[in-house]
Amino acid sequence: MAFLDNSGDIILDAVLTDHGRKVLSKGDGSFRITKFALGDEEINYTNYNPNQTSGSAYYDLEILQTPILESFTNNGSSMKTKLVTIANTNLLYLPILKLNENLTNTKRHTDGAYMIAVDRSTEGTDAAGTTSAVGYIGSDQVQGILFGESFEDSNYIRIDQGLDTTEISPKQRSSISDMIESSYIIQIDNRMGYIVDRNGNRVAADYIDDDNIAFYTVDSSDNVVSDNSDDSNSTTQTIAGPRGTKLEFKIGASLDLNTSTYLFTQLGGTTTMTNKASGTSTVNFIDTMVRATGMTTGYTIDLPVRFIKAVIS
Amino acid sequence: MANFYKSLNQTNDIVNTRTLLHEAIPLTGTIVSGTYGVENIKNYSHGMFQSVYDYPYLSSSANHVFDITVGYANNSALSASTNAQNSKKLNIYNQMAQVLMGYDQTGSILQFDEDGDLLAGGTKLRENVFLNFSRLLVKDEIKKGSFELELGVTPVYSQDGNTVFGDRLKLTDASGSSGYLVNSPVGEYGILYATQSAGTNVLAINQSYPVGLLFYQAGVAVLSGSMFLDVSDGGILNNAHFSVSMSGPTTTAETINAVLTGSQITGAADNIRTRMYNLQFNNTVELNSTVYFCRVNHNEFNYSSNPTYLSGSKIRVKTKTTDLPVSYITTVGLYSDNNELMAVSKLSEPLKKTPDNEFTIRVRLDY
Repeated sequence: MAFLDNSGDIILDAVLTDHGRKVLSKGDGSFRITKFALGDEEINYTNYNPNQTSGSAYYDLEILQTPILESFTNNGSSMKTKLVTIANTNLLYLPILKLNENLTNTKRHTDGAYMIAVDRSTEGTDAAGTTSAVGYIGSDQVQGILFGESFEDSNYIRIDQGLDTTEISPKQRSSISDMIESSYIIQIDNRMGYIVDRNGNRVAADYIDDDNIAFYTVDSSDNVVSDNSDDSNSTTQTIAGPRGTKLEFKIGASLDLNTSTYLFTQLGGTTTMTNKASGTSTVNFIDTMVRATGMTTGYTIDLPVRFIKAVIS
Repeated sequence: MANFYKSLNQTNDIVNTRTLLHEAIPLTGTIVSGTYGVENIKNYSHGMFQSVYDYPYLSSSANHVFDITVGYANNSALSASTNAQNSKKLNIYNQMAQVLMGYDQTGSILQFDEDGDLLAGGTKLRENVFLNFSRLLVKDEIKKGSFELELGVTPVYSQDGNTVFGDRLKLTDASGSSGYLVNSPVGEYGILYATQSAGTNVLAINQSYPVGLLFYQAGVAVLSGSMFLDVSDGGILNNAHFSVSMSGPTTTAETINAVLTGSQITGAADNIRTRMYNLQFNNTVELNSTVYFCRVNHNEFNYSSNPTYLSGSKIRVKTKTTDLPVSYITTVGLYSDNNELMAVSKLSEPLKKTPDNEFTIRVRLDY
């Protein structure tokens, strides 16, 4: 995408997204715009310099000179960061989303991503007890590998929300009372997997866009969002200050990944991992990303996810 | 409660508008008849018409501009089974007539009428040249009153433009902007009038003659062969000026009637094409727009979820709580009820938003 001409008056470059065109083409009246949001994804706020000696007019000089890209038509590529309405203008801190890896079962794999074993042979839960499985080493479940077929594991993904500062006590939860996330949007490539709760119960997707990205709006009724009532300085907490909610979920593997290596060949590669017998197994993998966005503050976090399928020798 | 969506009031914030946009389409005769030789002229094995491109047509950069074909009616004096491509010329005429003029109450195809007054009968256009303009140029329709076609009518035959363009006729739909006809099944049409635009004694002084029809929405010009004939041959040119000589089946000094009977359709098209001096019109695009007024009040959208907005959880643009929050708008996203991103709009430069200011951002989607 090119930059927009910013030499004259402010202009607007408006386009329908590819998903918008798809909905419009249905012709069933479902194309209905009812609300708007504002984004600022090009802005790097680290360029805001309140120490600028020339005066406050110069604090944001670099930001105001930021060239703006033309609109992307891909609905997943736009509006990644949004402006937020909060009535209180005296806030100095805002809640964030942060991956909680302080529990044994919520850590990423040592390779740096959450690994989703797409079938029982990879998990090590198959009846044949294949030793090529990578979900266990001996009888110990491997950190950061989630079982995407059986869900017979204790690993899961946990994201905590709150003010990550030591300057406000975690007991002052009232300070974020109007910024607590009660629901989240989770985006995942629908060709790869789907969202389940910690017990393996599938969550219903809102819709799947033209790029096969599934959107899930989840809340407490889906058993994936709950209040984080721990206001201690426990080492199991990742948010230092007041805490809002926690998002806990697992990822199931799609039928395509479960039963075929086609997508692995198309989109991924192969690597080796330590297997159940402490030897080495060749593993097909696809690296992807899962995005979680708070529905109240719009804060977004991207999680690295790798789907793995052991090559059974 | 914090939030990042703002609902649009379906009554006050969303407006539907309709705008007519016009583009000028100038086609110099050299593109049609000279600049690229015949590399931009495409003939087909079926021989029913000839296509003109704006660039050698084998290039992917070429755009189709218009097609030329000719035809005559069953009851034309020119119709004879011994003519070259006689049935194809009849078929072309009938096809164009049934599409553009329609049928009478008995189901018979109506012929092109010189003044468009079908009830009164009157003179019919039975020997015609058809210029079918590409939708790329016409878009939704040709703007009424904007059409001009200048044809070289110097009697002598030559492929040298300087020679044949000494005497010229200008065909316009001058009546189109105020008086056009609506009794066609394909929409509105106007009458093309010929006036002398260069040379002397080509037409009677200060006279204009109806020589064809212009179908605005269909983008088709129907031209009578009479504009290349003198009065004694049944045309409009002064007898002293003589009929225009064309390259026919045997010589290069034949009238258009001889070309229409004796030449292939593509041969006739070549003769017409090389007489085109200038062609121009304005097209029309009907733009239906929905305007969304995104009203950003002073107490809204003052914070950001941009990861760079925070250091830890601390807001970078504030050093103490009483500092006003600042955010910068670069994008407007339009959403459905289901939070689906339907449209995106980018500002050309960041817009500073603080509790001190308010904006109404007007986002227009065109259909």
